[in-house]
Amino acid sequence: MSFHKNHWLLFSVIFFGYIALSWIAGIGPAIWVQNHTHPLPGAEPMSPLQRHGLHVYIAEGCVACHTQQVRPLQMDAVWGRPSAPGDYAYVKPLDVWHPYAPAVLGSERTGPDLTSIGARQPSEVWQYIHLYNPRAVSPESIMPAHPWLFEVVATPAADAVVVPLPPAYAPPSGTVVATADAKALVAYLLSLKQVPLGAAGGDGK
Amino acid sequence: MAEPSSLLSVDRPLVVGKARIESTIESDTAWTRLIYVYLACSTLWLLVGTLVGAYLSIKFTAPDVDHIHWLSFGRLRPVHTNTVFWGWTSLAMIALVLYVVPKTSQRRLYSFPLAWTSLILINLAVIIGDLCLMGGINNGGQEYREYIWPVMALFAAGVVLTAYNLIRTIAARGVEEIYISNWYIMGGFLWTSVLVTIAYLPFYQQNGISETVIQGYYMHNAVGMWFTPIVLGLIYYFLPKLLNKPIYSYSLGVLAFWTQMVFYTLIGGHHFVFSPTPWSLQTLAIIFSVGMLVTLAAGTGNFLLTMKGSSRTIARSYSLPFILAGVIGYFLWSAQGTLEALRSLNLVWHFTNYTVAHSHLTMYGFVVFLIWGCIYGLMPRMTGREPSHLLAGVHFWFALLGYLIYTIALMVGGTLQGVSWILNAPFIESVHLMEPFWLWRAVGGTMMFLSHLIFAYNLWRMRPSHREREVPAPQAEALA
Repeated sequence: MSFHKNHWLLFSVIFFGYIALSWIAGIGPAIWVQNHTHPLPGAEPMSPLQRHGLHVYIAEGCVACHTQQVRPLQMDAVWGRPSAPGDYAYVKPLDVWHPYAPAVLGSERTGPDLTSIGARQPSEVWQYIHLYNPRAVSPESIMPAHPWLFEVVATPAADAVVVPLPPAYAPPSGTVVATADAKALVAYLLSLKQVPLGAAGGDGK
Repeated sequence: MAEPSSLLSVDRPLVVGKARIESTIESDTAWTRLIYVYLACSTLWLLVGTLVGAYLSIKFTAPDVDHIHWLSFGRLRPVHTNTVFWGWTSLAMIALVLYVVPKTSQRRLYSFPLAWTSLILINLAVIIGDLCLMGGINNGGQEYREYIWPVMALFAAGVVLTAYNLIRTIAARGVEEIYISNWYIMGGFLWTSVLVTIAYLPFYQQNGISETVIQGYYMHNAVGMWFTPIVLGLIYYFLPKLLNKPIYSYSLGVLAFWTQMVFYTLIGGHHFVFSPTPWSLQTLAIIFSVGMLVTLAAGTGNFLLTMKGSSRTIARSYSLPFILAGVIGYFLWSAQGTLEALRSLNLVWHFTNYTVAHSHLTMYGFVVFLIWGCIYGLMPRMTGREPSHLLAGVHFWFALLGYLIYTIALMVGGTLQGVSWILNAPFIESVHLMEPFWLWRAVGGTMMFLSHLIFAYNLWRMRPSHREREVPAPQAEALA
């Protein structure tokens, strides 16, 4: 028996050895974490509207530039308290085409961390203007404008969410109103705020 | 004493002449055609993928260049990464594998229809996947897991079919020993079949943090257990072949192989250092990231010692410089990955543009350079047609300088970003300070794209001849 001469031996060791290693580094820890992650006391489950917003957040690729994880480092204190696994307990699969919890932790901070954006920028109006064109409220921002999340109408309906844009950023005629996607995304963003640890009298464990 | 100028011949060439290949055209035209079509498809994806990348680089300095939803940064970014991963690099690699495995097994490829089917499946995956992403249908898995599962299933089917095709070829080999290239190549195919399955099964990814554990494992292994082993396997064939001498040490190759499998599989957790994923997993990942230096030293040392004493041959070749640059890149940029995993340095570089530089250094400066070296080494020997030697040189220097400009700018800028965060400067300053570096990145990226146009032209120059008479393919039995 030799790896050099017996292809079935070689390929079996490669194949099953890798599955074993994948249990150690991937599946095993994932199962453990899943079974030991519980929502923090005082955390609210996502509403259907917020879940729709999370879907838009994923579809538009926001995670490419925004993290949602505060590291236990002094440099991250500006974004909030260090994130705990329980903070992500309500991030759940979206639908049959997305049967996994979407990745929200992110890997790059071209834009700011959004863990507490709902507390930092609680204004709906600011969020709508910012999504329509970020430079209308933050001149140095390089975030993409998302005008397709809005509609330009001649006369907005009574219950429409009208976006009060500065004239320089408004379309030449008509009024900008938010679509269902924009409303959902803003609802999701505003829901992003940290539950204080020990909110329900717990000791943080 | 003669004037120095008189020593120069009047018709001194602009650049050093490169050696022509000995004309030995592959007689199995069906085989040549299969490999060429794979390469043509992959090169098309290279052009599409890097054009998208170059366009994205403009958006950092001109965010309002368009307001079209399917061209927005968030949607196009995964189009760039997935196209160059699954369309360009994967197909180009498979094309070369379809040559090396039968050649080293001394047997004709088990099934041509299977190989064509794989090509169609993978192309379909990239076409449908990219259209989905532009339409806002994103799996939500982050890096390299943005195609939704029905699309990735097409890609996986292509990989599994190719794996089966290769195993049958190797099983019926005409030599007793399985050449080391085929260890690496089959490793890449078997590991990736498992990896994609694990990454897309939902059972253990039902909340944010468990999904992240799988994402760390997947995104890292998708690079290091697919591209890395397969291109290394290709080099174990092409380097000795092009230098016309044996590999320095077979044993070093075997050592690097097993350490690659054991160490590399365990280090995905280092993508989430300091995150709320289990810190024991992060520490395990950091330890084995350092362990990877063993694999790196064994692999790179083996290649460099094989090249030792052959500098003339390398300088006279238009394919070997790509391989030399890729081998050096393999060591340097993978070792950089080890450094980035260390907590003290991760602190500075994580979340910054330094990471973007690292992924381009490894995928481009290592993997893609090796692939180009192999293509320039193989195609003329299959078709009897050479690329323009001068343009192959232009391709090399544009690609090399382009990627160095791109990555040095982002490494410097990324470090400054990290430092500005450590100093608790307002966040917008880290955006502002990147402006000149993003501009340099666009310059380097444009040079890289231009080099790809030149490569595409050269690939066309190396196309199979239609004038050749169809030679009946030798029967498999005759070779077995």
